[in-house]
Amino acid sequence: MSEILGVGSDLTTTGEHPMSTTAERKAVVQEPGATPGKEWVIVTRGLKREYDMGGEVVRALRGVDLAIRRNEYVAIMGPSGSGKSTLMNLIGCLDTPNGGEYWLNGMLVSTMSDDALARVRNKEIGFVFQTFNLLPRATALHNVELPLVYAGISSDERKRRAKAALASVQLDNRMHHRPNELSGGQRQRVAIARALVNEPSILLADEPTGNLDSATSTEIMKVFEQLASGGQTVIMVTHEPDIAAHARRVVVLRDGLVATDDRRAAFKAQMGLA
Amino acid sequence: MSFADVLVTAFGQIAANKLRSFFTLLGIIVSVTFLVAVLAIIEGMNAYVQESVADAMIGSNTFQVRRSPINVARFADSDMDRMARRPIISRDDAAAVQAAIPDAEAVSMQSGWPTPMADIIWRDRTIGDAQIFGVTASYQVVQDYRIGQGRGLSELDVEQRRSVVVLGSELADKLFEGADPIDKVVRILGEQFTVIGVNASKGKVLGQSFDGFVLMPITRFELVYGKRSTTTVSIKMARAEDVAPGMARVEEALRVARHLRPSEENNFSLETSDALVDFWRTLTRVLFAIVPAIVSIGIVVGGIVIMNIMLMAVTERTHEIGIRKAMGATARDIERQFLVESIALACCGGVIGAFTGWLMAAGVATASPLPARVTTWSVVLALALGAGVGVIFGVYPARRAARLDPITAMRAE
Repeated sequence: MSEILGVGSDLTTTGEHPMSTTAERKAVVQEPGATPGKEWVIVTRGLKREYDMGGEVVRALRGVDLAIRRNEYVAIMGPSGSGKSTLMNLIGCLDTPNGGEYWLNGMLVSTMSDDALARVRNKEIGFVFQTFNLLPRATALHNVELPLVYAGISSDERKRRAKAALASVQLDNRMHHRPNELSGGQRQRVAIARALVNEPSILLADEPTGNLDSATSTEIMKVFEQLASGGQTVIMVTHEPDIAAHARRVVVLRDGLVATDDRRAAFKAQMGLA
Repeated sequence: MSFADVLVTAFGQIAANKLRSFFTLLGIIVSVTFLVAVLAIIEGMNAYVQESVADAMIGSNTFQVRRSPINVARFADSDMDRMARRPIISRDDAAAVQAAIPDAEAVSMQSGWPTPMADIIWRDRTIGDAQIFGVTASYQVVQDYRIGQGRGLSELDVEQRRSVVVLGSELADKLFEGADPIDKVVRILGEQFTVIGVNASKGKVLGQSFDGFVLMPITRFELVYGKRSTTTVSIKMARAEDVAPGMARVEEALRVARHLRPSEENNFSLETSDALVDFWRTLTRVLFAIVPAIVSIGIVVGGIVIMNIMLMAVTERTHEIGIRKAMGATARDIERQFLVESIALACCGGVIGAFTGWLMAAGVATASPLPARVTTWSVVLALALGAGVGVIFGVYPARRAARLDPITAMRAE
C-alpha cells in the first residue's frame, strides 16, 4: 500500500507540495459554469444550502466559494453553527446544494441524482468520521472491504486490497477483530484504511480526533500528515484550532460564508498559536 | 454489489438473530407444516385407496356390472332420475354375462351397498352389527377369500337356499372364543344358520377389519332382506389386460340380453376399481381446495409478522444503512439487501415448515392407521409460498430502507 501512504516517497518533503495561491483560487472561482482545470479537485461557486426548520428557513451556507487543488491538505474550521458540517456533507456528496455549483474532479456533482452521487462517494471520497462509523458486527477486514463491495470488486481482490490497506495503518494483526475489540485509535485507523482502500480523490475527515484522547489524537494526526506528504488530498473539518493547525491551509467559516482562507502560518499567527 | 455478497449479508443477519428469526417465522412454519402434513395425509390416503381399498372392496382384475355407477357425485339430478328407472341386476343378467365371457375366472353375484348389519347370536353370546353379505359361491373366488376352517359356500348351497353361513375370522373368534365353530347353529334376525366355514383373516384396511362379515347364499339373503336394487355382478378376469376387452364383451351381451336399441343408452353400469378411486378423489378434491385456502390465511398473517420485523430491522440498522450509503451503496443496493433478507427469512420458514410437515406426516403414519405420502408438489408449493411472502411483505420495508437519507441515517444511533 505504499502508493497510498506514500511510503517510499520522501517523507521529509513535508510542506513542499504545491499549494494554490489566493490569486489562482480567485480566478477559478469567478468563472461560473466553466469546467475547472484538472489540477482542481474541488471548486465550489456560490454554494448555498438552506434548511426548512418547521416553516423557518435556516441558511446554513450563503454562497461559499472554495477551490482546492490536488494534493492540498486543507482544514475547514469554524465555530458550531458556522456551516462547516453542511459544507462537509456537500463536499462529501451526502447532500445536494440549493444553489451554486460544486465541481469535483471536473464533474459537476451539484446536479447529480442520488444514485450518481452514491457512485461518486464510492469512487472519489474516503470518509473518516468523528464517531468512526464502523459496522459494529463486522470485522476490521470486512469494514475495510465495504467500499469495494459496492464498487463491485471480486471477493479475492477485495480481501487483498483490504489487507494491504490495514497493513498500511499497522493493523494487519487486528484484521479479524470487531470494532468493540479495538481501541479508539485503532478504530479510527480502521476507518482511515477503509477511506483509503478505494484510492479516492479526497480524504474527507470530520472531526477525526473528536472522540480520542490527546496522545491518540497526535498519533492519528501523524497518519494524516504522512498521507498528505504522500500526495493524498486531505480535507479535514474541525472546530479545534490546534488540530486545524496541522493542515497547510486553513479555511475559516463564519455564518455560512468563508471568513478567511490562508496558509497555516497566517492562521497560527492570527490564533496566537506557537 | 454482487448477488453472492447480498446473500451472505442476508443469511448473516438471520443467523445473528436466530431466536428472533425463529419467532418471526413461527406463523409461516406452522402454516406450511399444516399444509405439507395434511396434503401428505390426503395424498397418502388416495394412494392407499388406489392400492389397497379399491382392490379389497372390488377385487383385483375385476369389474362389476351395477345398476348405478359408483361415482354418483358427477351426475345431475335428471341423470339420477333416469338411473332410478333402470332394471335391477338379476340372475338372468348374471347368466348373460357368464355366457358372454366363458374365459372369466369367476362371475359372481352379491348383495350391494348398503351392506345390512345384524346381530349374530350363539347360545347366550351376541355379536352386534356383523355385516351380512348375500353372495354366490364364486364371490369367494372374486374376492380371493381363503377358507381357514370347514368349507366355503357351494353352488348347491345357493341353488337350494340353504341356511348356511361362512364367517369372517374375527367374527368367529369373538363369537366362539376358541370353540370349534363348524356345524354350530347361530341365529341371525331370528333365523337359524349352520356355520359351515370360517374364512382366513384378510387383515385390516385403514384400521377397519375386513373379517367381521357373514357370507350367506344370495338366495337365502333375498329371503331375509328381499330383492335389493343394488345387487351387483362381479367378473374376475385372469389378467389385468383382459379387463377392458371383457368389459366390452359384457356390455355388448347385456345390451342384447336387455333388448336395447342402438339409440338407447346402457341401462346398467360397468365399473372397475378405478371408479371407486375416482369417487374417493372427488371427495378429497374438496379438501385439496380448502386446505390451501386455510393455510393462505396463516401465511398472510405470517407475512405481516415478517414485514413488522423487517420494519424493525430497518429502524434498528438505520445507522448501518447510513454508513453503507456513505460508502457508496445506492438505493437499489440497500433495497435489494433488505428484500433478499426477507425472502431468505420467509424461505427458511418454508423449508423448516416443509421439514416439520414431513416429520408430522411420518409421525401420523406411524402412530395411526392413516397412511401419509409427502409429495414433491406440496414441498414446492411450500417453498414458493415462502418466497412469495418474502417478496410481497419485504418490498415495503426494503423501500423504506432504500429511501433513508444518508446524513440523518448516520446520525441515528
